[in-house]
Amino acid sequence: MNQNEIIKKIENEFNIDKKDIKKIDSKQFKAFIKNSQIIDFLTYLKNIGFWQLSLITAVDWVDDNKFEIVYNLVSWELEQNILVKTDISRKNPKITSVINIWPAAKYYEWDVNEYFGIDFIGNPNNGKELFLENWDGPPPMRKDFDPLKYSKNKFPEKDYKNFKMKKQSEVIE
Amino acid sequence: MNTKELIEKIKNIVRGHSLYMLHYCTGCGAIELPPTMTSRFDMERLGIAPMATPRQADILLITGYLSKKTLRRVIYTYEQMQSPKWVVGFGSCTINGGIYYDSYSTINRLDLYLPVDLYIAGCMPRPEAIINGFKKLISMIEKGDAKGWEHYIENKKWYKKNQKKALGNSLYTTR
Repeated sequence: MNQNEIIKKIENEFNIDKKDIKKIDSKQFKAFIKNSQIIDFLTYLKNIGFWQLSLITAVDWVDDNKFEIVYNLVSWELEQNILVKTDISRKNPKITSVINIWPAAKYYEWDVNEYFGIDFIGNPNNGKELFLENWDGPPPMRKDFDPLKYSKNKFPEKDYKNFKMKKQSEVIE
Repeated sequence: MNTKELIEKIKNIVRGHSLYMLHYCTGCGAIELPPTMTSRFDMERLGIAPMATPRQADILLITGYLSKKTLRRVIYTYEQMQSPKWVVGFGSCTINGGIYYDSYSTINRLDLYLPVDLYIAGCMPRPEAIINGFKKLISMIEKGDAKGWEHYIENKKWYKKNQKKALGNSLYTTR
């Protein structure tokens, strides 16, 4: 089955708009889906051969006031990658966990939860720490977080007021 | 000069001639160390050899940036080492943060948290610069100038305050 046939099959069987599926290259394509349909769509994709979940990540579109969750699925039989994208609101970021479809999603979702502050309903690790020890700021991967300000406040820099560069003749002995 | 001072002077000269180095390779600086240690630049002709454990090492070489997580482990490592001990900051990341100056999780200045005896500047320093730095450290040890470990004991309160500010209360909890 080539890529066009797979896209046609998904369009027919899942009732998805033609403009919502886009090709990236000969091995990859992406699909946009409403956030209420995400579990159905991922279950369907798993059944037709995209059984490996290789990544869950999020993109912060701060000007559009939304988060985009990206599921990256791989099919080794069809030799295709699919990126499934869904939008959620930035004010109250919540989405259903896919932990029941792929148990490994626990860690991807935990990671996204820690760095973006998105709640995955059903994931037991929401709010626990994974990478950041004793974190005391807002989620660091959000675009409105200012890392320079945080760093200056928390880790003081060297004072260069009385610093004088040495001449080259002084450095080389 | 009394006998105690004389013995201390002789000790310093002897210390400068047998140094074992623990290299804490967190950043990219680790890549410059294998040629420094092995036959091309051959650090051992200066009397410095790599050591695997902190308890027997004399020099703690910190190569590159330290994040909050690794800083905690470096402090454990440093406190396990037996005095006299010396810290060498390697690369510009240990001096002022280097290219990670605006990162939310890497520290900017190492000397707030550990007493640094010598910095080797550069991003990355070449093996020649490392050898030059070690020669300087050896002469400092022989003269008795490298007293960072005594400074750490005398100013423990100040160091602990800085460490707590950066790491929170996690300093002595295991996880």
